[in-house]
Amino acid sequence: MDGELLSETFVELTDTLVAGFDVIDFLHVLTDRSVQLLDVSAAGLLLADPRGELRVVAASSEAARLLELFQLQNDQGPCLDCFRSGRPVAAADLAAAATRWPRFAPAAGQAGFAAVQALPMRLREQVIGALNLFRADPGVLAPADIRVGQALADVATISLLHERSMRHSDTLNEQLQTALNSRVIIEQAKGKLAERLGVDTDQAFSLLRDRARVSNRRLSDLARAFVDGTETLTGPATARSRQRLPDTGQVPAS
Amino acid sequence: MTGSRPGRVWALVAAQAARRGGRVSAADACVAVVAAVEVTGAWLIAAGGAEADHLMWATDEVSELLAELQLTLGEGPGPDAMAYGGPVLASDLDDVEAVRRWPLFASAAGQAGAAAVFVFPLQMGAIGVGVMGLYRDWPGPLSGSQLGDALVFADTATLLLLEAQDRAAGEAAAGSGPGGQPAGLAVHRAEIDQATGMLTEQLGVGIAEAFLRLRAYAYAHDRRLSDLAGDIVARHLRLRPDPDPCEDGQT
Repeated sequence: MDGELLSETFVELTDTLVAGFDVIDFLHVLTDRSVQLLDVSAAGLLLADPRGELRVVAASSEAARLLELFQLQNDQGPCLDCFRSGRPVAAADLAAAATRWPRFAPAAGQAGFAAVQALPMRLREQVIGALNLFRADPGVLAPADIRVGQALADVATISLLHERSMRHSDTLNEQLQTALNSRVIIEQAKGKLAERLGVDTDQAFSLLRDRARVSNRRLSDLARAFVDGTETLTGPATARSRQRLPDTGQVPAS
Repeated sequence: MTGSRPGRVWALVAAQAARRGGRVSAADACVAVVAAVEVTGAWLIAAGGAEADHLMWATDEVSELLAELQLTLGEGPGPDAMAYGGPVLASDLDDVEAVRRWPLFASAAGQAGAAAVFVFPLQMGAIGVGVMGLYRDWPGPLSGSQLGDALVFADTATLLLLEAQDRAAGEAAAGSGPGGQPAGLAVHRAEIDQATGMLTEQLGVGIAEAFLRLRAYAYAHDRRLSDLAGDIVARHLRLRPDPDPCEDGQT
């Protein structure tokens, strides 16, 4: 494990009081670093919406299939089990987990994943969501990796709950809802940019994120400005691959 | 986690419309939320359309006063919810934080008889149509389940206001409500949002209009919103701008 990256990550995850803090950016740091630091190939973060759903807020890759796999766990899967119990849930071999999760296990297999680990985002009695780690090969995560993964999730949880203040649960709920709505804005922006540039939504997300970094703006602010039309997102970073599909009623899948 | 909350909320809103004897509207959500989450009153402010922000509905005089105070003062949980893009939950207007944050509103609201105010933006990503405000004449936070219900009432009011703002689309999507509105959008939620974004480009319209057109198309072709969105995101289907009466719609 890269010790330097690990300590850098803890600094990033506790540095939530800086101006311009953005929950979505923050949670993307958590999923990206999980993949870089741990022996896993994908990571996703689900937060509990008081409406009664688990919702994907960040993922190490925005590939549609992966996002769907995370979101599927609103109904069943390790993330849901982990959220409900507040305890880590592991499946070393998803191929053998079809009775436990009849919908989730085959879908994960089709997406190329053989093992999964879910870790709770928890502070004392309050579970606010779960971190989901996928591996391409069967086998449990090494104990050291699980400890580091849980530490990352813990630090992120504490930072989230302490953001602004710990006065009451109102603050967390306000912030959670803002984050969930930001996530919707980002999806809307992904669609608009994908259509404008003729790229897929995963590429559109990367472009949005790169642009936010280069211009030092919050991803959710940039996404909103783009959807509202006050930001055009044209220029060197997005000028490539401008290959619009012909404007016919039906377009065959390519 | 329960998937039945949206269905239950739609049923309460529809029952309120039936009692009133009219077509389901955002005002029905505003009335029904009061009993459902145990608050004293509620109001709706429409915003973001062609008109200036205005009070659409209030269930009692105190609610009306609270809404108007915030519109005139430009201060309070309502303006903050609009600016912040998330709910503002002020469970005790007497506490130091609330008084410091809204010096004029906190004291005026207290005199009017409100002890707690909760404001929910009526929004769906970058689509924003107003706010729903709730007040109590006693202090204290909403419980977890009351908060969940209030959020779903706000989602319901958002859809109803959006439709009201676009009469044509309102006609096309007349099947919305208890039967027409899919309760559990969670799994395909991202695709619906992405498809909405794609339609802004395909149709050359704003994001709210794009969403209404997506729903109208789904209704007209008797398709599930999530399936239609999936086809659009997979680029199996494109929608065309409204055909121009003179030419075939190319600019």
